[in-house]
Amino acid sequence: MKRYLRLYLYFLRFSFSKALQFRLDFTFRIIMDIIYYVVNILFFKVIYLHTPMLAGWSEEQMMVFVASYLLVDAINMTIFSSNMWWIPFHINRGDLDYYLIRPVSPLFFLSLREFSANSFLNLLIAGGFFTYTLAMYSAPYNFLDLMLFIGMIINGTLIYYCIQMMMIIPVFWTHSARGFQDLFYSMGLAMERPDRIYKGWLRLVFTTVLPFALIASFPARIFIEKFEWTTIVHLFAVSLGLWIVMISFWKLGLRNYSSASS
Amino acid sequence: MKWWVSVWAMEIRKILAYRSDFWITFLGQTTIQLLIARALWQSIFEAQGTDSMKGFTLPMLTLYYLIVPIGTRILTGENIGFISREIYDGTFTRYLIYPLSFFQYKTITYLTQASFYGVQLILLYTLYHLFYTDSAGSAVNLFTGLGLFFSASITYLSMAMSLELMSLWADNVWSLGVMLRFFTSFFGGGFIPMVFFPDWARVVLEWTPFPYLVGLPVRATMGLVTTPEILQGLVLMMSWSLVFMGLARFIWRRGQKHFTGVGI
Repeated sequence: MKRYLRLYLYFLRFSFSKALQFRLDFTFRIIMDIIYYVVNILFFKVIYLHTPMLAGWSEEQMMVFVASYLLVDAINMTIFSSNMWWIPFHINRGDLDYYLIRPVSPLFFLSLREFSANSFLNLLIAGGFFTYTLAMYSAPYNFLDLMLFIGMIINGTLIYYCIQMMMIIPVFWTHSARGFQDLFYSMGLAMERPDRIYKGWLRLVFTTVLPFALIASFPARIFIEKFEWTTIVHLFAVSLGLWIVMISFWKLGLRNYSSASS
Repeated sequence: MKWWVSVWAMEIRKILAYRSDFWITFLGQTTIQLLIARALWQSIFEAQGTDSMKGFTLPMLTLYYLIVPIGTRILTGENIGFISREIYDGTFTRYLIYPLSFFQYKTITYLTQASFYGVQLILLYTLYHLFYTDSAGSAVNLFTGLGLFFSASITYLSMAMSLELMSLWADNVWSLGVMLRFFTSFFGGGFIPMVFFPDWARVVLEWTPFPYLVGLPVRATMGLVTTPEILQGLVLMMSWSLVFMGLARFIWRRGQKHFTGVGI
Protein backbone atom coordinates (compact mmCIF):
# COMPACT_ATOMS: atom_id res chain seq x y z
CA MET A 1 0.00 0.00 0.00
CA LYS A 2 2.82 2.37 0.97
CA ARG A 3 4.61 1.53 -2.27
CA TYR A 4 1.49 2.39 -4.30
CA LEU A 5 1.07 5.67 -2.46
CA ARG A 6 4.68 6.63 -3.13
CA LEU A 7 4.26 5.70 -6.78
CA TYR A 8 1.14 7.85 -7.02
CA LEU A 9 3.04 10.82 -5.62
CA TYR A 10 5.55 10.39 -8.45
CA PHE A 11 2.66 10.34 -10.93
CA LEU A 12 1.41 13.63 -9.48
CA ARG A 13 4.79 15.32 -9.70
CA PHE A 14 5.30 14.15 -13.28
CA SER A 15 1.78 15.20 -14.35
CA PHE A 16 2.08 18.73 -12.95
CA SER A 17 5.42 19.38 -14.59
CA LYS A 18 4.10 17.98 -17.90
CA ALA A 19 0.91 20.09 -17.77
CA LEU A 20 2.83 23.28 -17.14
CA GLN A 21 4.88 22.71 -20.29
CA PHE A 22 1.75 23.10 -22.42
CA ARG A 23 0.33 26.33 -21.04
CA LEU A 24 -2.06 27.06 -23.91
CA ASP A 25 -3.64 23.57 -23.66
CA PHE A 26 -3.78 24.07 -19.92
CA THR A 27 -5.88 27.23 -20.39
CA PHE A 28 -8.12 25.68 -23.08
CA ARG A 29 -9.06 22.78 -20.83
CA ILE A 30 -9.91 25.05 -17.94
CA ILE A 31 -12.20 27.12 -20.17
CA MET A 32 -13.76 23.96 -21.63
CA ASP A 33 -14.71 22.62 -18.22
CA ILE A 34 -16.10 25.97 -17.10
CA ILE A 35 -18.30 26.02 -20.21
CA TYR A 36 -19.45 22.48 -19.42
CA TYR A 37 -20.46 23.59 -15.90
CA VAL A 38 -22.27 26.68 -17.17
CA VAL A 39 -24.16 24.72 -19.86
CA ASN A 40 -25.32 22.16 -17.30
CA ILE A 41 -26.54 24.79 -14.87
CA LEU A 42 -28.29 26.71 -17.67
CA PHE A 43 -29.96 23.50 -18.87
CA PHE A 44 -31.86 23.12 -15.60
CA LYS A 45 -32.45 26.88 -15.30
CA VAL A 46 -34.27 26.76 -18.66
CA ILE A 47 -36.25 23.65 -17.63
CA TYR A 48 -37.38 25.35 -14.41
CA LEU A 49 -38.75 28.28 -16.41
CA HIS A 50 -41.51 25.86 -17.45
CA THR A 51 -42.09 23.76 -14.35
CA PRO A 52 -41.75 24.45 -10.60
CA MET A 53 -40.87 20.80 -9.81
CA LEU A 54 -38.91 18.14 -11.66
CA ALA A 55 -38.76 14.54 -10.43
CA GLY A 56 -40.09 15.77 -7.09
CA TRP A 57 -37.33 18.37 -6.63
CA SER A 58 -37.49 22.15 -6.57
CA GLU A 59 -34.87 24.23 -8.42
CA GLU A 60 -32.86 24.68 -5.21
CA GLN A 61 -32.78 20.91 -4.62
CA MET A 62 -31.94 20.28 -8.27
CA MET A 63 -28.92 22.56 -7.95
CA VAL A 64 -27.63 20.34 -5.13
CA PHE A 65 -27.91 17.40 -7.54
CA VAL A 66 -26.24 19.38 -10.37
CA ALA A 67 -23.39 20.35 -8.03
CA SER A 68 -22.97 16.65 -7.11
CA TYR A 69 -22.61 15.37 -10.65
CA LEU A 70 -20.36 18.26 -11.63
CA LEU A 71 -18.14 17.31 -8.71
CA VAL A 72 -18.11 13.64 -9.76
CA ASP A 73 -17.25 14.70 -13.29
CA ALA A 74 -14.45 16.98 -12.06
CA ILE A 75 -12.93 14.22 -9.89
CA ASN A 76 -13.14 11.80 -12.80
CA MET A 77 -11.63 14.29 -15.26
CA THR A 78 -8.77 14.95 -12.86
CA ILE A 79 -7.92 11.42 -11.80
CA PHE A 80 -9.10 8.95 -14.44
CA SER A 81 -10.16 10.58 -17.69
CA SER A 82 -6.78 11.03 -19.47
CA ASN A 83 -5.78 7.49 -18.52
CA MET A 84 -9.05 6.06 -19.84
CA TRP A 85 -8.43 7.75 -23.16
CA TRP A 86 -5.05 6.04 -23.60
CA ILE A 87 -5.90 2.48 -22.47
CA PRO A 88 -7.37 1.37 -25.86
CA PHE A 89 -4.24 2.67 -27.63
CA HIS A 90 -1.98 0.75 -25.23
CA ILE A 91 -3.94 -2.43 -25.89
CA ASN A 92 -4.03 -2.04 -29.68
CA ARG A 93 -0.39 -1.06 -30.09
CA GLY A 94 0.85 -3.76 -27.75
CA ASP A 95 2.20 -1.17 -25.29
CA LEU A 96 0.39 -3.05 -22.56
CA ASP A 97 3.40 -5.39 -22.47
CA TYR A 98 5.39 -2.73 -20.63
CA TYR A 99 2.72 -2.47 -17.96
CA LEU A 100 2.30 -6.21 -17.52
CA ILE A 101 5.97 -6.78 -16.70
CA ARG A 102 6.13 -4.07 -14.02
CA PRO A 103 5.98 -5.13 -10.36
CA VAL A 104 2.72 -3.22 -9.75
CA SER A 105 -0.88 -3.88 -10.69
CA PRO A 106 -1.28 -2.99 -14.40
CA LEU A 107 -4.80 -1.75 -13.74
CA PHE A 108 -3.52 0.62 -11.04
CA PHE A 109 -0.77 1.89 -13.32
CA LEU A 110 -2.98 2.32 -16.38
CA SER A 111 -5.85 3.94 -14.50
CA LEU A 112 -3.89 6.42 -12.40
CA ARG A 113 -0.64 7.23 -14.16
CA GLU A 114 -1.78 10.56 -15.60
CA PHE A 115 -3.21 13.06 -13.16
CA SER A 116 -4.78 15.95 -15.10
CA ALA A 117 -3.27 18.96 -13.46
CA ASN A 118 -5.37 21.34 -15.59
CA SER A 119 -8.57 19.58 -14.56
CA PHE A 120 -7.43 19.88 -10.97
CA LEU A 121 -8.13 23.62 -11.17
CA ASN A 122 -11.61 22.77 -12.42
CA LEU A 123 -12.03 20.39 -9.54
CA LEU A 124 -11.51 23.41 -7.31
CA ILE A 125 -14.17 25.32 -9.26
CA ALA A 126 -16.63 22.38 -9.09
CA GLY A 127 -15.82 22.00 -5.39
CA GLY A 128 -16.47 25.72 -4.95
CA PHE A 129 -19.85 25.46 -6.67
CA PHE A 130 -20.70 22.42 -4.53
CA THR A 131 -19.80 24.32 -1.34
CA TYR A 132 -21.74 27.39 -2.46
CA THR A 133 -24.85 25.32 -3.29
CA LEU A 134 -24.77 23.62 0.10
CA ALA A 135 -24.15 26.92 1.89
CA MET A 136 -27.20 28.43 0.17
CA TYR A 137 -29.35 25.35 0.74
CA SER A 138 -32.27 26.35 2.95
CA ALA A 139 -33.16 22.98 4.54
CA PRO A 140 -31.31 22.01 7.75
CA TYR A 141 -28.57 19.36 7.70
CA ASN A 142 -25.82 18.31 10.10
CA PHE A 143 -22.15 17.38 9.80
CA LEU A 144 -22.94 13.65 9.56
CA ASP A 145 -25.34 14.24 6.63
CA LEU A 146 -22.61 16.18 4.87
CA MET A 147 -19.95 13.51 5.42
CA LEU A 148 -22.30 10.79 4.21
CA PHE A 149 -23.10 12.85 1.12
CA ILE A 150 -19.41 13.38 0.31
CA GLY A 151 -18.68 9.68 0.93
CA MET A 152 -21.42 8.69 -1.49
CA ILE A 153 -20.12 11.12 -4.13
CA ILE A 154 -16.69 9.45 -3.88
CA ASN A 155 -18.42 6.09 -4.22
CA GLY A 156 -20.26 7.53 -7.25
CA THR A 157 -16.91 8.42 -8.84
CA LEU A 158 -15.79 4.80 -8.44
CA ILE A 159 -19.02 3.58 -10.06
CA TYR A 160 -18.37 5.97 -12.94
CA TYR A 161 -14.82 4.62 -13.28
CA CYS A 162 -16.02 0.99 -13.24
CA ILE A 163 -18.65 1.60 -15.93
CA GLN A 164 -16.13 3.41 -18.08
CA MET A 165 -13.67 0.54 -17.73
CA MET A 166 -16.42 -1.91 -18.69
CA MET A 167 -16.84 0.06 -21.92
CA ILE A 168 -13.10 0.07 -22.62
CA ILE A 169 -12.30 -3.58 -21.92
CA PRO A 170 -14.19 -4.88 -25.03
CA VAL A 171 -11.32 -3.35 -27.06
CA PHE A 172 -9.42 -6.59 -26.31
CA TRP A 173 -11.87 -8.27 -28.71
CA THR A 174 -13.23 -5.49 -30.95
CA HIS A 175 -9.83 -3.73 -31.47
CA SER A 176 -11.58 -0.38 -31.66
CA ALA A 177 -12.87 1.53 -28.69
CA ARG A 178 -14.74 4.24 -30.55
CA GLY A 179 -18.19 2.64 -30.59
CA PHE A 180 -18.27 1.72 -26.92
CA GLN A 181 -16.61 4.97 -25.85
CA ASP A 182 -19.17 7.01 -27.78
CA LEU A 183 -21.87 4.89 -26.20
CA PHE A 184 -20.42 5.54 -22.75
CA TYR A 185 -20.40 9.29 -23.29
CA SER A 186 -24.02 9.14 -24.47
CA MET A 187 -25.00 7.06 -21.48
CA GLY A 188 -23.15 9.50 -19.24
CA LEU A 189 -26.15 11.74 -19.79
CA ALA A 190 -28.12 9.34 -17.58
CA MET A 191 -25.95 10.44 -14.65
CA GLU A 192 -26.92 14.06 -15.30
CA ARG A 193 -30.64 13.48 -14.83
CA PRO A 194 -32.50 12.79 -11.55
CA ASP A 195 -33.21 9.08 -11.12
CA ARG A 196 -36.95 9.55 -10.53
CA ILE A 197 -37.54 10.38 -14.19
CA TYR A 198 -36.67 6.79 -15.08
CA LYS A 199 -39.57 4.36 -14.89
CA GLY A 200 -40.02 0.62 -15.45
CA TRP A 201 -37.23 -1.32 -17.15
CA LEU A 202 -35.24 1.84 -17.85
CA ARG A 203 -35.09 2.47 -14.10
CA LEU A 204 -33.95 -1.09 -13.50
CA VAL A 205 -31.14 -0.67 -16.05
CA PHE A 206 -29.90 2.67 -14.70
CA THR A 207 -30.03 1.59 -11.05
CA THR A 208 -28.53 -1.91 -11.35
CA VAL A 209 -27.05 -3.03 -14.69
CA LEU A 210 -25.56 0.31 -15.77
CA PRO A 211 -25.99 2.19 -12.51
CA PHE A 212 -25.56 5.76 -13.74
CA ALA A 213 -28.41 6.86 -11.47
CA LEU A 214 -26.37 5.79 -8.45
CA ILE A 215 -23.48 8.10 -9.25
CA ALA A 216 -24.99 11.42 -8.18
CA SER A 217 -28.76 11.13 -8.07
CA PHE A 218 -28.96 8.61 -5.22
CA PRO A 219 -26.43 10.52 -3.08
CA ALA A 220 -28.34 13.77 -3.69
CA ARG A 221 -31.63 12.04 -2.91
CA ILE A 222 -30.32 10.69 0.39
CA PHE A 223 -29.07 14.17 1.29
CA ILE A 224 -32.20 16.05 0.20
CA GLU A 225 -34.89 13.61 1.26
CA LYS A 226 -35.49 11.33 4.23
CA PHE A 227 -32.62 8.95 5.05
CA GLU A 228 -33.42 5.37 3.99
CA TRP A 229 -31.24 2.35 4.75
CA THR A 230 -32.60 0.47 1.72
CA THR A 231 -31.19 3.14 -0.61
CA ILE A 232 -27.77 2.98 1.09
CA VAL A 233 -27.69 -0.83 0.95
CA HIS A 234 -28.74 -0.75 -2.71
CA LEU A 235 -26.02 1.79 -3.47
CA PHE A 236 -23.16 -0.14 -1.84
CA ALA A 237 -24.34 -3.59 -2.99
CA VAL A 238 -24.43 -2.46 -6.62
CA SER A 239 -21.05 -0.69 -6.27
CA LEU A 240 -19.41 -3.81 -4.86
CA GLY A 241 -21.00 -6.06 -7.48
CA LEU A 242 -19.89 -3.72 -10.27
CA TRP A 243 -16.31 -3.65 -8.96
CA ILE A 244 -16.14 -7.47 -8.87
CA VAL A 245 -17.59 -7.76 -12.38
CA MET A 246 -15.19 -5.12 -13.72
CA ILE A 247 -12.11 -6.82 -12.23
CA SER A 248 -13.22 -10.23 -13.58
CA PHE A 249 -13.87 -8.72 -17.01
CA TRP A 250 -10.43 -7.05 -17.00
CA LYS A 251 -8.75 -10.37 -16.16
CA LEU A 252 -10.69 -12.06 -18.95
CA GLY A 253 -9.56 -9.33 -21.33
CA LEU A 254 -5.93 -9.78 -20.28
CA ARG A 255 -6.17 -13.50 -21.01
CA ASN A 256 -7.31 -12.59 -24.51
CA TYR A 257 -4.52 -10.04 -25.03
CA SER A 258 -2.15 -11.10 -27.78
CA SER A 259 0.53 -8.43 -27.32
CA ALA A 260 1.60 -6.20 -30.26
CA SER A 261 -1.07 -5.29 -32.79
CA SER A 262 -3.71 -7.29 -30.96
CA MET B 1 -13.83 14.66 -60.07
CA LYS B 2 -12.15 11.24 -60.16
CA TRP B 3 -10.17 12.11 -57.00
CA TRP B 4 -13.31 13.08 -55.16
CA VAL B 5 -14.88 9.69 -55.88
CA SER B 6 -11.70 7.83 -54.85
CA VAL B 7 -11.44 9.67 -51.53
CA TRP B 8 -15.17 9.17 -50.92
CA ALA B 9 -14.90 5.39 -51.58
CA MET B 10 -11.82 5.12 -49.37
CA GLU B 11 -13.56 6.94 -46.52
CA ILE B 12 -16.64 4.71 -46.78
CA ARG B 13 -14.39 1.62 -46.54
CA LYS B 14 -12.76 3.15 -43.46
CA ILE B 15 -16.13 3.77 -41.78
CA LEU B 16 -17.26 0.21 -42.49
CA ALA B 17 -13.99 -1.37 -41.37
CA TYR B 18 -15.19 -1.44 -37.75
CA ARG B 19 -18.73 -2.73 -38.08
CA SER B 20 -19.27 -3.21 -34.35
CA ASP B 21 -18.51 0.49 -33.82
CA PHE B 22 -20.99 1.37 -36.51
CA TRP B 23 -23.86 -0.61 -34.98
CA ILE B 24 -23.10 0.43 -31.42
CA THR B 25 -23.02 4.09 -32.41
CA PHE B 26 -26.02 3.90 -34.69
CA LEU B 27 -28.38 1.95 -32.45
CA GLY B 28 -26.95 2.30 -28.95
CA GLN B 29 -26.17 6.00 -28.87
CA THR B 30 -29.37 7.06 -30.61
CA THR B 31 -31.60 4.86 -28.43
CA ILE B 32 -29.97 5.86 -25.16
CA GLN B 33 -30.15 9.58 -25.86
CA LEU B 34 -33.75 9.28 -27.00
CA LEU B 35 -34.81 7.30 -23.93
CA ILE B 36 -33.16 9.71 -21.48
CA ALA B 37 -34.64 12.79 -23.16
CA ARG B 38 -38.08 11.21 -23.39
CA ALA B 39 -38.01 10.18 -19.72
CA LEU B 40 -37.15 13.76 -18.76
CA TRP B 41 -39.93 15.34 -20.80
CA GLN B 42 -42.46 12.73 -19.74
CA SER B 43 -41.67 13.66 -16.15
CA ILE B 44 -42.14 17.38 -16.93
CA PHE B 45 -45.44 16.76 -18.74
CA GLU B 46 -46.68 14.68 -15.79
CA ALA B 47 -45.63 17.33 -13.28
CA GLN B 48 -47.47 20.00 -15.28
CA GLY B 49 -50.47 17.75 -16.01
CA THR B 50 -50.50 18.81 -19.65
CA ASP B 51 -50.31 17.20 -23.10
CA SER B 52 -48.50 20.00 -24.84
CA MET B 53 -45.88 22.62 -24.04
CA LYS B 54 -44.86 25.46 -26.35
CA GLY B 55 -46.48 23.60 -29.25
CA PHE B 56 -44.66 20.34 -28.56
CA THR B 57 -46.49 17.15 -27.56
CA LEU B 58 -44.61 14.16 -26.14
CA PRO B 59 -44.65 12.22 -29.47
CA MET B 60 -43.30 15.35 -31.21
CA LEU B 61 -40.51 15.63 -28.66
CA THR B 62 -39.77 11.92 -29.15
CA LEU B 63 -39.28 12.52 -32.87
CA TYR B 64 -37.25 15.66 -32.09
CA TYR B 65 -34.83 13.72 -29.86
CA LEU B 66 -34.67 10.86 -32.36
CA ILE B 67 -33.43 13.25 -35.03
CA VAL B 68 -31.06 15.24 -32.78
CA PRO B 69 -28.31 12.57 -32.21
CA ILE B 70 -28.17 11.49 -35.86
CA GLY B 71 -28.47 15.08 -37.05
CA THR B 72 -25.63 16.11 -34.77
CA ARG B 73 -23.49 13.38 -36.30
CA ILE B 74 -24.28 14.66 -39.82
CA LEU B 75 -23.28 18.09 -38.60
CA THR B 76 -20.05 17.16 -36.86
CA GLY B 77 -18.89 14.77 -39.61
CA GLU B 78 -15.50 13.56 -38.52
CA ASN B 79 -14.33 13.21 -34.95
CA ILE B 80 -12.67 15.99 -32.98
CA GLY B 81 -8.98 16.05 -33.90
CA PHE B 82 -9.46 15.35 -37.63
CA ILE B 83 -6.80 17.96 -38.44
CA SER B 84 -5.03 18.69 -35.17
CA ARG B 85 -4.05 15.06 -34.60
CA GLU B 86 -2.25 14.96 -37.96
CA ILE B 87 -0.47 18.23 -37.25
CA TYR B 88 0.55 16.94 -33.83
CA ASP B 89 1.98 13.62 -35.01
CA GLY B 90 3.53 15.00 -38.20
CA THR B 91 1.49 12.92 -40.71
CA PHE B 92 0.22 16.25 -42.02
CA THR B 93 3.18 16.32 -44.44
CA ARG B 94 1.57 13.57 -46.54
CA TYR B 95 -0.70 16.17 -48.19
CA LEU B 96 2.38 17.49 -49.98
CA ILE B 97 2.33 14.44 -52.26
CA TYR B 98 -1.46 14.04 -52.52
CA PRO B 99 -2.97 14.96 -55.89
CA LEU B 100 -5.53 17.22 -54.23
CA SER B 101 -5.18 19.98 -51.70
CA PHE B 102 -5.43 19.48 -47.96
CA PHE B 103 -8.65 21.56 -47.77
CA GLN B 104 -10.29 19.61 -50.60
CA TYR B 105 -9.32 16.27 -49.07
CA LYS B 106 -10.65 17.20 -45.63
CA THR B 107 -13.90 18.57 -47.09
CA ILE B 108 -14.55 15.33 -48.98
CA THR B 109 -13.82 13.06 -46.02
CA TYR B 110 -15.95 15.27 -43.79
CA LEU B 111 -18.90 15.26 -46.17
CA THR B 112 -18.56 11.50 -46.72
CA GLN B 113 -19.02 10.94 -43.01
CA ALA B 114 -21.94 13.38 -43.03
CA SER B 115 -23.60 11.60 -45.98
CA PHE B 116 -23.18 8.26 -44.25
CA TYR B 117 -25.07 9.55 -41.22
CA GLY B 118 -27.59 11.10 -43.59
CA VAL B 119 -28.48 7.58 -44.76
CA GLN B 120 -28.96 6.59 -41.11
CA LEU B 121 -31.35 9.51 -40.66
CA ILE B 122 -33.44 8.41 -43.65
CA LEU B 123 -33.57 4.89 -42.22
CA LEU B 124 -34.56 5.97 -38.70
CA TYR B 125 -37.13 8.49 -39.92
CA THR B 126 -38.76 5.82 -42.10
CA LEU B 127 -38.76 3.22 -39.30
CA TYR B 128 -40.24 5.73 -36.86
CA HIS B 129 -43.12 6.56 -39.18
CA LEU B 130 -43.70 2.93 -40.10
CA PHE B 131 -43.84 1.45 -36.62
CA TYR B 132 -44.10 4.10 -33.93
CA THR B 133 -46.57 6.74 -34.90
CA ASP B 134 -49.87 6.96 -36.76
CA SER B 135 -48.80 10.08 -38.63
CA ALA B 136 -47.35 9.59 -42.08
CA GLY B 137 -43.84 10.84 -42.73
CA SER B 138 -43.21 13.36 -45.44
CA ALA B 139 -40.43 12.88 -47.99
CA VAL B 140 -40.42 16.65 -48.61
CA ASN B 141 -39.83 17.38 -44.92
CA LEU B 142 -37.18 14.67 -44.64
CA PHE B 143 -35.17 15.91 -47.60
CA THR B 144 -35.59 19.57 -46.63
CA GLY B 145 -34.18 18.64 -43.22
CA LEU B 146 -31.35 16.65 -44.78
CA GLY B 147 -30.48 19.53 -47.09
CA LEU B 148 -30.34 21.90 -44.13
CA PHE B 149 -28.21 19.46 -42.13
CA PHE B 150 -25.70 19.33 -45.01
CA SER B 151 -25.61 23.13 -45.26
CA ALA B 152 -25.13 23.21 -41.49
CA SER B 153 -22.33 20.65 -41.71
CA ILE B 154 -20.43 22.94 -44.11
CA THR B 155 -20.82 25.83 -41.65
CA TYR B 156 -19.73 23.57 -38.80
CA LEU B 157 -16.77 22.30 -40.84
CA SER B 158 -15.57 25.87 -41.37
CA MET B 159 -15.88 26.58 -37.64
CA ALA B 160 -14.20 23.31 -36.62
CA MET B 161 -11.42 23.85 -39.17
CA SER B 162 -10.59 27.27 -37.72
CA LEU B 163 -10.27 25.73 -34.27
CA GLU B 164 -8.39 22.61 -35.41
CA LEU B 165 -5.80 24.72 -37.22
CA MET B 166 -4.95 26.36 -33.91
CA SER B 167 -2.90 23.23 -33.31
CA LEU B 168 -0.22 24.83 -35.49
CA TRP B 169 0.56 26.78 -32.31
CA ALA B 170 -0.80 24.62 -29.49
CA ASP B 171 -0.06 20.91 -29.10
CA ASN B 172 -3.49 19.76 -28.12
CA VAL B 173 -6.66 21.59 -29.08
CA TRP B 174 -9.33 18.91 -28.67
CA SER B 175 -10.78 20.96 -25.81
CA LEU B 176 -11.65 23.69 -28.35
CA GLY B 177 -13.59 21.10 -30.37
CA VAL B 178 -15.42 19.97 -27.25
CA MET B 179 -16.30 23.59 -26.45
CA LEU B 180 -17.73 24.04 -29.94
CA ARG B 181 -19.85 20.92 -29.45
CA PHE B 182 -21.17 22.16 -26.09
CA PHE B 183 -22.13 25.50 -27.60
CA THR B 184 -23.70 23.93 -30.68
CA SER B 185 -25.71 21.38 -28.69
CA PHE B 186 -26.97 23.76 -26.06
CA PHE B 187 -27.42 27.03 -27.96
CA GLY B 188 -28.47 25.16 -31.09
CA GLY B 189 -31.41 23.45 -29.40
CA GLY B 190 -29.88 19.97 -29.19
CA PHE B 191 -30.51 19.67 -25.45
CA ILE B 192 -33.73 21.66 -25.25
CA PRO B 193 -35.76 22.95 -28.26
CA MET B 194 -35.10 26.66 -28.74
CA VAL B 195 -38.76 27.52 -28.21
CA PHE B 196 -38.28 26.80 -24.48
CA PHE B 197 -35.54 29.43 -24.20
CA PRO B 198 -36.47 32.89 -22.88
CA ASP B 199 -37.44 35.37 -25.62
CA TRP B 200 -34.45 37.66 -25.03
CA ALA B 201 -32.06 34.69 -25.40
CA ARG B 202 -33.67 33.63 -28.68
CA VAL B 203 -33.36 37.15 -30.10
CA VAL B 204 -29.64 37.21 -29.25
CA LEU B 205 -29.00 33.66 -30.51
CA GLU B 206 -30.71 34.35 -33.85
CA TRP B 207 -27.61 36.30 -34.87
CA THR B 208 -25.26 33.44 -34.02
CA PRO B 209 -24.87 30.32 -36.22
CA PHE B 210 -25.98 27.89 -33.49
CA PRO B 211 -29.81 27.78 -33.88
CA TYR B 212 -29.39 27.05 -37.60
CA LEU B 213 -27.02 24.16 -37.03
CA VAL B 214 -29.30 21.87 -35.02
CA GLY B 215 -32.71 23.33 -34.18
CA LEU B 216 -33.63 24.53 -37.67
CA PRO B 217 -32.80 21.29 -39.56
CA VAL B 218 -34.51 19.17 -36.88
CA ARG B 219 -37.68 21.27 -37.01
CA ALA B 220 -37.55 21.25 -40.83
CA THR B 221 -37.42 17.43 -40.80
CA MET B 222 -40.51 17.52 -38.57
CA GLY B 223 -42.25 19.95 -40.92
CA LEU B 224 -42.36 22.75 -38.33
CA VAL B 225 -40.69 25.57 -40.27
CA THR B 226 -41.86 27.99 -42.92
CA THR B 227 -40.07 28.75 -46.19
CA PRO B 228 -38.95 32.26 -45.06
CA GLU B 229 -37.40 30.67 -41.93
CA ILE B 230 -35.50 28.19 -44.12
CA LEU B 231 -34.26 30.96 -46.41
CA GLN B 232 -33.19 33.11 -43.46
CA GLY B 233 -31.35 30.09 -42.02
CA LEU B 234 -29.57 29.38 -45.30
CA VAL B 235 -28.47 33.00 -45.72
CA LEU B 236 -27.13 33.15 -42.16
CA MET B 237 -25.38 29.79 -42.45
CA MET B 238 -23.76 30.87 -45.70
CA SER B 239 -22.63 34.15 -44.16
CA TRP B 240 -21.13 32.42 -41.14
CA SER B 241 -19.46 29.83 -43.39
CA LEU B 242 -17.77 32.61 -45.35
CA VAL B 243 -16.60 34.30 -42.15
CA PHE B 244 -15.12 31.10 -40.72
CA MET B 245 -13.61 29.96 -44.05
CA GLY B 246 -11.86 33.32 -44.23
CA LEU B 247 -10.68 32.89 -40.67
CA ALA B 248 -9.46 29.35 -41.38
CA ARG B 249 -7.47 30.56 -44.40
CA PHE B 250 -5.97 33.38 -42.34
CA ILE B 251 -4.96 30.97 -39.55
CA TRP B 252 -3.59 28.53 -42.13
CA ARG B 253 -1.42 31.19 -43.80
CA ARG B 254 -0.02 32.34 -40.51
CA GLY B 255 0.18 28.95 -38.87
CA GLN B 256 1.96 26.95 -41.58
CA LYS B 257 5.09 28.98 -40.86
CA HIS B 258 5.09 27.33 -37.42
CA PHE B 259 4.75 23.77 -38.73
CA THR B 260 7.98 21.79 -38.36
CA GLY B 261 6.74 18.59 -39.99
CA VAL B 262 8.44 16.55 -37.31
CA GLY B 263 5.53 15.52 -35.15
CA ILE B 264 5.75 14.09 -31.65
